[in-house]
Amino acid sequence: MTLAPDTFAFVADLVRRRSAIQLEPGKEYLVESRLLPLARTAGLLDVDSYVRGIRAAPHPTTLEAVVEALTTNETSWFRDALPFRALVDHVVPEMLTATTSGMFAPQLRIWSAACSSGQEPYSIAMALADVLAPSRMKITATDLSDQMLERGRSGRYSQLEINRGLPAPMLVKHFTRAGADWEIAQPLRSAVTFQRHNLLDAPPVGGPFDVVFLRNVLIYFDLATKRDVLRRVQQAMRPGGFLLLGAAETTIGVDDGWERVSVGRSSVYRLAPRRAA
Amino acid sequence: MRALVIDDSRTMRRIIVGVLTALGFETVEAADGRQALDVLEQGIEVDLACIDWNMPVMNGLEFVVAVRERKDWRGVTLMMVTTESEHGQIVRALAAGAHEYMIKPFTPDAVKEKLQLLGLVEIEELV
Amino acid sequence: MSMQVDTTAFAGTDPVYVIAEEVFSSMIDGEPGFLRHWDGDPPPIVDAMHAWVDVHGATNGRVLLSTERSTADDLARALLQMGPTEPVSDEDFADALGEVANIVGGNVKALVPDPGVLTLPQVTHERPHTDPEALIYELPLDWRGSLVVIGLWRLL
Ligand SMILES: C[S@@+](CC[C@H](N)C(=O)[O-])C[C@H]1O[C@@H](n2cnc3c(N)ncnc32)[C@H](O)[C@@H]1O
Ligand SMILES: [Mg+2]
Repeated sequence: MTLAPDTFAFVADLVRRRSAIQLEPGKEYLVESRLLPLARTAGLLDVDSYVRGIRAAPHPTTLEAVVEALTTNETSWFRDALPFRALVDHVVPEMLTATTSGMFAPQLRIWSAACSSGQEPYSIAMALADVLAPSRMKITATDLSDQMLERGRSGRYSQLEINRGLPAPMLVKHFTRAGADWEIAQPLRSAVTFQRHNLLDAPPVGGPFDVVFLRNVLIYFDLATKRDVLRRVQQAMRPGGFLLLGAAETTIGVDDGWERVSVGRSSVYRLAPRRAA
Repeated sequence: MRALVIDDSRTMRRIIVGVLTALGFETVEAADGRQALDVLEQGIEVDLACIDWNMPVMNGLEFVVAVRERKDWRGVTLMMVTTESEHGQIVRALAAGAHEYMIKPFTPDAVKEKLQLLGLVEIEELV
Repeated sequence: MSMQVDTTAFAGTDPVYVIAEEVFSSMIDGEPGFLRHWDGDPPPIVDAMHAWVDVHGATNGRVLLSTERSTADDLARALLQMGPTEPVSDEDFADALGEVANIVGGNVKALVPDPGVLTLPQVTHERPHTDPEALIYELPLDWRGSLVVIGLWRLL
């Protein structure tokens, strides 16, 4: 079955306006497979009639559900490992020595932007727990998707999710079994606050941030949106703060407000002093 | 890199060997802990052992203990790959000297991510 | 002592179903969506194959997986990443089905408060003896249209 061109155009436009995610022509299969479960739940047989219904009577929650269905929430614990090492080995020591200049006190404030189901903010909390008391970290975790935020808040993960990148010593230290799932320990949960936030909007509360993780989300945006989002992130950060991006992402050629710092085999980005507010 | 795949199920060995081969490993198989020790005794050098827990003759935990008793086998990274999934069992395996623990069932991605943690598979360079 | 599964901790989700779903989606189908609850009363299984593991310790129980021979063949093929009509040797067949029981059984064992040790899997054409009174729980599943039953039995 093929999707009607105007169905695709409507969905692509909606998703672009609401999330900045670009659905290029050729992604019809993605729209079809992601929306079919929603159509079925609504008692309809195909995506075209589902979307026709939405267009005839748009309802905010339905539109949101469509946008959410088209986000890619793929994530894992300590994804790519290196950024978490850079955080502990480089960023935190830098920040600790800089306390005299008034930053990083009394808590290290971290923003995990586009956090998906929570593996990223909890990995940050676990990495920091080795060097910092949970009471000294304040992690703000945000995403566009309510469904993902709900999963993050629950702190419960399936066996298959737990297998993905979580070092066994961290598992036994910070998790307990809950039926067929695993549940993260309370001290770490209370270090993380989940909040709905769209990267196209003004920064979330909880800042200004010392460190921002903005990983594996810029890849879905066009250049102008990337630039825009990076500017907004800058405004939410403290002078001298650090930005950590995904493996396929960089500020270079996008926004020149950042200084790239090599840490081991990876890079972090430091807010260039010129732009410091 | 060479990996020793230890599991009494040939199906499971085939699955694990498939994943490891795709990650660039050479593999040797053993159907129980005793056979696996024989492989090491022969002087075949391995970087990684993927170890099932429940096996006849010698189980995976006993194998881990035996390997950790030998100084010359210190270089072998030990990863349990097992259906034993209680918190206490994972603690036991780590205390006996296992470095990592993968619970069955798993996806091929999960194997890759564990091996990246262990430094046995390259993490894709960050741009 | 009996094998007790604390179902209150699961907030409405059936942990045995969750386990089965994870095993099938990751190792058999490679993606979710092919396993569901069996709709209505399951028919008797003709030409059945049975695979099981026992849990011995403070709790004694059996995790038994039963399905039609042809479904078991399909399961083995899927697990071994073979083509849909490729012949499966008897050895591969028994091994694959046994390993499915082992994986399900090990994860079910972790649900039990005071778990013991797991026996090695067994696979037979004949149904192993279980006391009809000793059924703790039975989960009929629909895998690509075929019936697969997972049963938890108390061993007396
Ligand atoms: C691939 S995940 C990345 C998760 C995590 N940062 C990581 O690196 O593993 C991308 C996430 O971005 C979220 N997302 C997409 N567009 C967004 C937007 N405009 N605002 C906020 N979140 C967005 C999606 O909901 C999804 O959870
Ligand atoms: Mg075994």
